[in-house]
Amino acid sequence: MKYEAVLTTCPYCGCGCKYYVEVVNGQAKRVMPCKEDPVSEGKLCIKGWNAIDFVNSPDRLTSPLIRDGDTFREATWEEAYSLITSKFKELKDTFGPSAFGLLSSAKTTNEENYLMQKFARSVIVTNNVDHCARLCHASTVAGLAAAFGSGAMTNSIPEVEDADCILITGSNTTEQHPLIGTRIYRAKERGARIILVDPRSIQLASIADIHLRQRPGTDVAWLNGIMNVIINEGLADEMFIEQRTENYDEFLEEVMHYTPEHVEEITGIPRNDLIDAARMFANAESASIIYSMGITQHTTGVDNVKSCANLAMLTGNMGKASTGVNPLRGQNNVQGACDLGALPNVFPGYQAVTDPASREKFEKAWNMHESIPETPGLTVVELLNEAADGRIKCMYIMGENPMISDPDISHVREALDALDFLVVQDIFLTETAELADVVLPGASFLEKDGTFTGTDRRVQRVRKAIEPIGSSKPDWVIISELARLMGSDQFDYESPAAIQDEIASLTPLYGGISYQRLDERGYLQWPCPTPDHEGTIYLHKGEFKRGRGHFFAVSYRPPAELPDDKYPFTLTTGRILFHFHTGTMSRRSGPLNKEVPTGYVEIHPADAAKLGIIDGQAVRVSTRRGTIDIPAYVTDRVPEETVFIPFHFKECAANLLTNPALDPIAKIPELKVCACSIEAIV
Amino acid sequence: MNDELRTVAAEILARDGIDGIVGLKEMHGTVRPCLFTDAEQLSCMVVDSRYPVASVVRLLLEEDPDLRLAVVCRGCEERSLIELAKNHQIDIESVTVIGIACDSDTAKECNCSKPYPDSLMVGTALENWTRDTYATYRQMSGEEKLAFWKEQLEKCNKCYGCRNACPVCFCKECELENSLWVKRGRLPPDFPIYHLIRAFHVAGKCIDCGECEQACPAGIPLMTLSHLLREDMEELFDYMAGRSLDEQNPVITKEEYE
Repeated sequence: MKYEAVLTTCPYCGCGCKYYVEVVNGQAKRVMPCKEDPVSEGKLCIKGWNAIDFVNSPDRLTSPLIRDGDTFREATWEEAYSLITSKFKELKDTFGPSAFGLLSSAKTTNEENYLMQKFARSVIVTNNVDHCARLCHASTVAGLAAAFGSGAMTNSIPEVEDADCILITGSNTTEQHPLIGTRIYRAKERGARIILVDPRSIQLASIADIHLRQRPGTDVAWLNGIMNVIINEGLADEMFIEQRTENYDEFLEEVMHYTPEHVEEITGIPRNDLIDAARMFANAESASIIYSMGITQHTTGVDNVKSCANLAMLTGNMGKASTGVNPLRGQNNVQGACDLGALPNVFPGYQAVTDPASREKFEKAWNMHESIPETPGLTVVELLNEAADGRIKCMYIMGENPMISDPDISHVREALDALDFLVVQDIFLTETAELADVVLPGASFLEKDGTFTGTDRRVQRVRKAIEPIGSSKPDWVIISELARLMGSDQFDYESPAAIQDEIASLTPLYGGISYQRLDERGYLQWPCPTPDHEGTIYLHKGEFKRGRGHFFAVSYRPPAELPDDKYPFTLTTGRILFHFHTGTMSRRSGPLNKEVPTGYVEIHPADAAKLGIIDGQAVRVSTRRGTIDIPAYVTDRVPEETVFIPFHFKECAANLLTNPALDPIAKIPELKVCACSIEAIV
Repeated sequence: MNDELRTVAAEILARDGIDGIVGLKEMHGTVRPCLFTDAEQLSCMVVDSRYPVASVVRLLLEEDPDLRLAVVCRGCEERSLIELAKNHQIDIESVTVIGIACDSDTAKECNCSKPYPDSLMVGTALENWTRDTYATYRQMSGEEKLAFWKEQLEKCNKCYGCRNACPVCFCKECELENSLWVKRGRLPPDFPIYHLIRAFHVAGKCIDCGECEQACPAGIPLMTLSHLLREDMEELFDYMAGRSLDEQNPVITKEEYE
């Protein structure tokens, strides 16, 4: 009898809960929370408790697949590799490296993301590498980097419970980051004031001191309004503004237009509630802002993020414990995928590809004979647009499922169909993999070593608990083998630990991180530049990364698509507690699927009555992009004239409906607002 | 105390007919359950209050019912084993208890009802131990109590952690997942039925270890509930779960037709 409790990190959200996986005779049997883990403290959400379920699903890919007409046939690794390398070489010779697009994965490890961008930049020689951060926090990375010099969560999860005031907006924290929800509950218990700004009456509304329900897409307006009140009532932290920031005057001039009366007209938030919230936030000793997709997934995503940064600086809530601007990252390793350069504009550690010194550094380290392009590559949505237009010919997608996750998926399908050659590497035959020419079976988080970086910049170990299922292989092995077959001699790694050592040598943020230190300490929070550095709990202490914090004057712009006579409702989309993203993992977990077997549209009782819709009835939801049939959930969680659809479910996919209009800077699509119509299906 | 435990463990592991010891080991800075099968492993065995080893025993015996195991047990873990045996989840004959006593800090942290096992082998049983008896809660009126629970249970995010962490929850089909009683996929779960089902299902088995409360991400004070239930069971039926192998759970009827 062999029994082992293997300590690893959860593959669902960005909280970064560590737990034990109990392995009996080589089989993963149970999850047991780890009481010494500083994030979860021995507690888990329903996804964490059931995180090993999908690993043993009979749907797991166990062998490479090669397209054979409308279906696939099983193939050996040699055969699959040989087809891929000959097609890659042929297409590179014919169309050049810029005809390639690579999607890395926020689900895979740091080491694998590092290798994917290294493969793109040194083997294909293109910067066309991106991943789903584009769809969630691209606006955070751009907005916070511009304001502070670093695009990550400023403070840490455990600090949240000690804040005196927490403003939560566009984050359904208890559902999407349950173990951060725990900290909010604790803060409330201690007497902290909770301000919730969200159109929907989510679970946190029950403990909120103030709940402001803005019209979707009006965030710049209410944020400017709150700051207008703070300034007019003399509650701004003038010393902080004077000593630590710049460009205040230009910002001030803009904010002065946003009187509570004006803001009420735009947002629908009663002026007195706005004033109360402003006072509550500004008067707190330490106030923390928590936000997520409700802020970022807009054509004004970067503006929204900059406004959050403005509010934190205006009140001096930066560079101190239990304060800051805290974007909650959605995926287990979306922070790491960004950190390791799976982005078209930066190398690992946010070193710009436009910087000649950085290019030279990586070209030299990777022993390259060709030059890395000096301009940033294409982003996710741009890549797909270019594929549809015939300019991108070949894509290599690892652990992403744009056929469910991206806006306007009819268009995504056209784009992927138009490719000359598509390789998808995943643990399941996803909706995207179904369109591939070659499918490579990856190993799950339980079957490999590596690291994930949680939302609070916390780098933690993923440890191999069981052998890979079937003939699947860890992604780091697959990328390395492909790179070697493409002729590179720079992908000889004995283990993920060796890859981390290379990362540390090239990435100052991760410079002091090694497997040995992670084993000893459990985690390290970046920046961690040297082997004797303790890591960083909160950023911008004493000085901002960029020197002075920059105030941006931000004016309100309405969403790209507003309701009209034909499409009178506002559609907003998101996740729910019981499922994750495209459902690839969570829908293959018995207990999760039992809770919520399919999608639904939340509609207010008054709207439902007008349209003659009863709870549970099938309805038809249409936008300019598409139409779905979906059961109605009649509930006052949503306000009137706004409906909500979770995007996990392919049979009623919210992203057939959503608007691919992009934020001009971050290129994030407006997944949170579009106009729709609803009718009962009789 | 670690040395004392390791000495006792080494002696027991050397006995004929012991396949291994279930206990806790320290590794990578954290403590975790371990199956010790070799004397050399014992150097990392530790006394620690943190993990429900009885559940590990159940998992291992499920896999191989012929295993002969010794188990390092605190008071609550011994009570768990007794309940698991009474409910035919393990064969108590296959288990040798290595009893360890908890210190007063641990006992206080858990608000333990009896911080030592009957088969004590390592450490000294705490004497004159008195626990918090939830006096503030008892002083509330019925209405206040209802409001209190409503507020607390509204935070529940249906992780099922209270059930999953419970050493005496072992049903294959759980009534909490039965949509006849609790609507699926809704947050918070229906008040008060979800929590009532759980409370009543463990009423005759709850050994007051506090794992449910420790596992709760919403910070719901579940120990208050379990303590009062245990108290009722004792007052009404002179029954205490986990006290003895011979006591019958009074809330389970054993009729022929069942």
